[in-house]
Amino acid sequence: MLIFGLTFAGDATIEVIKKVDSLPSIGLEDASINYGDTFKLKFFKALVADLNVLSLFNVDRLHRTNHYNATDVVVDNKDMNYVLRYKMYEDNFGALNMDMKIIKKGKNVFSKNYKVSRKNIYMFISHAIAYDINEFMEEPSVAWMKRTVIFSRIVGPKKSEIVISDYTLSYQNVIIKGGFNVFPKWANKEQNAFYYTSLDGAKPTLKHVDIKTRKVSSVISSDGMMVCSDVSRDGKILLLTMAIKGQPDIYTYNVASKKYKRETTYGGIDVNGQFMDKNHIVFISSRLGYPNVFSKKLDTKEIEQMVYYGRSNSACSSNGEYIVYKARETSNAFERNTFNLHLISLKTDFIRRLTVSGVNEFPRFSEDGDAILFIKNYDNQSSIGIIRLNYNKNYLFPLKYGKVQSMDW
Amino acid sequence: MKSIVLSSVVVALLVFSGCSSKEVIVQEIQAVEIETIAAEERIVNSGMNPLSHMSMSDIESELLTVYFDFDKFSINSKAQRKITKAAELGKTGAASYNVKLEGNCDEWGSDEYNFALGLKRARSIKKALVAEGIEASRISMVSYGESNPVCEDKTQECYSKNRRVDFKLLP
Repeated sequence: MLIFGLTFAGDATIEVIKKVDSLPSIGLEDASINYGDTFKLKFFKALVADLNVLSLFNVDRLHRTNHYNATDVVVDNKDMNYVLRYKMYEDNFGALNMDMKIIKKGKNVFSKNYKVSRKNIYMFISHAIAYDINEFMEEPSVAWMKRTVIFSRIVGPKKSEIVISDYTLSYQNVIIKGGFNVFPKWANKEQNAFYYTSLDGAKPTLKHVDIKTRKVSSVISSDGMMVCSDVSRDGKILLLTMAIKGQPDIYTYNVASKKYKRETTYGGIDVNGQFMDKNHIVFISSRLGYPNVFSKKLDTKEIEQMVYYGRSNSACSSNGEYIVYKARETSNAFERNTFNLHLISLKTDFIRRLTVSGVNEFPRFSEDGDAILFIKNYDNQSSIGIIRLNYNKNYLFPLKYGKVQSMDW
Repeated sequence: MKSIVLSSVVVALLVFSGCSSKEVIVQEIQAVEIETIAAEERIVNSGMNPLSHMSMSDIESELLTVYFDFDKFSINSKAQRKITKAAELGKTGAASYNVKLEGNCDEWGSDEYNFALGLKRARSIKKALVAEGIEASRISMVSYGESNPVCEDKTQECYSKNRRVDFKLLP
């Protein structure tokens, strides 16, 4: 069986071109009881979306039903390489239970069960199933599917909400309502605390929220501007953009000692610091007269230009040797401008364009570098997009209302 | 408006002559008078200091929003005139207030760079106000990036309205 036209390359800046029809097919069979058709279809759509994002299968989009213990797959699924059969049922406590199995050539090759306390968080079961199928197929991990996204949404002038969601935005829990709060950023790998900037007080203030205890504490304030741009892997050092004397610069902030240190001193704009590793950061600076991507070795004065293409590269994210940045492709005050995301490697000269149209911004690498999450704004509609680097595929999940201001993954 | 009404005391003096044989003469030396000086008083009151009776929002409305060019934070001559006027107000009617400069951008970019651009716009105004004699300690700044639009249409006119710095007075 042919799985790929080309196996994915070691260098993510090289585009992988695959033939869609070379992917194995998978059909779904719903054997659920207890729940109504609307809910069954909702779950089916979520599961199809997750399986598509895996980029491993040609996923059949027709909702078919069967008995969970039926020996044969339905006639229409006879020629499928794989059949995913699942059964949702409610227990006495109202929890949503799920049994799932994968059938290949008439044989059960994988089976698992799942449970969530309420049926309205069904999407997390869908993500877990996709994650497990990916593991079963022995593909590089998609652990990011199970991670939580935090974003701020503008709902009116000087009014915003901070929302916690799954990566497809189908689950949304507004965690901070009222006020003008922006730039949320996870405080640790466990995602049980986050930082955000409050713009309601006399000065922009960085706040820390412990999700479990709901305790909100003020961290540091600055006149003009305050953003937590990145958090080190161990959660101990923050990269802040502050303007203590009115000048936007990048600072490191030690969470334990509460001491900060100014890392950039250019008189223009220095923002968007991102850790490449413990000792190196990339950031956006206007030191060439336009925004571009630079790197700095911490505790030294070594600053290096990272991108030599484009006249306006105003946001970036890094993961090891890779940097993804946002480039303005048109520079016109009178028309709509296009912003695309590009990927570079520090080891090669290749540049790979990751998006083709609209306003694409806020690129964020997954922890393992397998995927990039970003925001696409188009015609007053915000979507969260996901790019599978090794599969050359982009997926979009629209936001129901409001405009995404910032997000972290 | 305050009107003060003064009423004179009616005084009737009875003057008795030393001679009992003469008729008693009653002389009214002052008629009842009601004097109104309200008109005078009103002029004095309204002329004393017009701004001290203007509310903070009245003064704020005299501070005109400054607009910027696409991707720029430099001040043009039109903006400079507004800043000069704002500085004059800052030394007179608004002398007892501090000011917060709110930097804003159009929708082209929701990232940190855009927030920094809004801040640089506010900072340009702060520098200009200081050059006009306003104490730096009276001026604070904040950037709202593109998150505080006054206009949401997809037109050039609308975008240019959002590339601005607003003055907000603080007590």
